[in-house]
Amino acid sequence: MDGAFVFENVSFTWPGGRKVLKNQDFSIPVGAFAVVRGPSGAGKSTLLRLMNRLEEPQSGVIYYRRRPLSNYDPPRLRQQVAYLQQVPVVSDITVRETLLTPFTFGVNKGLASPSDKKLSMRLDELLLGGVGLDERAAALSVGQRQRLCLARALITGPDTLLLDEPTASLDSESTAVVVQMAEELCKNGATIVMVTHDGFSPRDVPMVEISIQNGKVAL
Amino acid sequence: MTIMQGALDISGFELSIAAFFVVMAGVISVWNKLQLEKDLMIGTVRCVLQLLAMGYVLRIIFDVQSLWIVLTMFATMVVFACRIVRGNIKERQVPFIVPAFLSMMVTYTAVSAIVTGVIIGVEPWWRPQYFIPLAGMIVGNSMTALSLSLERLFSDLKTKREEVEMRLCLGATSEEASRQTVRDALKAGMIPSINSLAGVGLVFLPGMMTGQILSGADPMLAVRYQIVVMFMIVASTAISVVAVLYIVRGRCFGPAQQLLLKP
Repeated sequence: MDGAFVFENVSFTWPGGRKVLKNQDFSIPVGAFAVVRGPSGAGKSTLLRLMNRLEEPQSGVIYYRRRPLSNYDPPRLRQQVAYLQQVPVVSDITVRETLLTPFTFGVNKGLASPSDKKLSMRLDELLLGGVGLDERAAALSVGQRQRLCLARALITGPDTLLLDEPTASLDSESTAVVVQMAEELCKNGATIVMVTHDGFSPRDVPMVEISIQNGKVAL
Repeated sequence: MTIMQGALDISGFELSIAAFFVVMAGVISVWNKLQLEKDLMIGTVRCVLQLLAMGYVLRIIFDVQSLWIVLTMFATMVVFACRIVRGNIKERQVPFIVPAFLSMMVTYTAVSAIVTGVIIGVEPWWRPQYFIPLAGMIVGNSMTALSLSLERLFSDLKTKREEVEMRLCLGATSEEASRQTVRDALKAGMIPSINSLAGVGLVFLPGMMTGQILSGADPMLAVRYQIVVMFMIVASTAISVVAVLYIVRGRCFGPAQQLLLKP
């Protein structure tokens, strides 16, 4: 049961009957950079959704750091396992409010909200230095919004980051920034699970390749 | 027409003259090729039969004066209201009829009982001449509010699914993730009754007040009754819609606080 995630005899089928996993066993080591590949509709995104309980398997057990996911309080689990959706989702609020959104939830009540200076530093790290904290988040470009969403997902310091095709709709500059940030996090001990369509491979980090097709997972 | 206890009686012949107005609507439909004649005819027949049946049932209930018969009658009205709400909402992934029925029964009984027993001071509080029409007005008005709210809740949870899931992914509970959605749904249900508060007396004269005036009541007494009815409708609408929305919202999420409603 060692590993960041351990799947034990897991099966998942969508309500319409599309089978994603059929009695699958596999694990993702702690601190690894896992790249999930597979054809469209194979269930790559579903795999990530299972890892932070946005979907529940019909049978089998998924462990996170030796504990079944069902033993975690869902908000507490999602505080540790951040999930960046494929499409950058921001509300019609300012950049500052977007970054501080996690602090409005009960699970983060004990954490101190970062100052404006720290928020600006976060934006700088993701090459968003030109974006003001009072700007409307929804008015930013897709690439800027995706980087802003990444900054927001990381603001409470998760151990694991699930990235759902983060570079699919990004320009080359944004892609490079997101990938570098993920690699940097992995070097600092975080586990990264990234769904990708292309032949992307991370550099200088322990990579695990996961292919998913016809309900089966191969490492 | 003959005078009976303040109101002028309407004979069967006079009633049939009134049916001429429906015939006029039918002629307009034929003239403009609206093809509404069949619906108009069915609607007219149903309206007459249902109201006549209700008249006979009310006569019996008023004669018998039994709490259980009054409550059974009230429960039947709520069941029909639930059926109409169910018919108005296409969503079938989340069961909502049982919570809707229970919250409507509890809320409407409580509000109607307070109005009849405390405000009007009827003894007993369930006296059918007061309880049935007042409770009926609550059911009729709140039913629309409930349909609007539930439809809005389900459609927003589906169309704004990514936004709700974004909040869940950032550590929100299902309540936190759907707070704005529930607020919007509640507003959607409340706005018609708030509009009625603002428009009553200026834009329209409500049926109950009109009925009282026609039956010879002092207009000021009719107004006082109408004020109570308006407040009662706003309160029962708000309470029942909040109760149903909170229960149904809970059913839209699973034990892992994941959104169960699929697009």
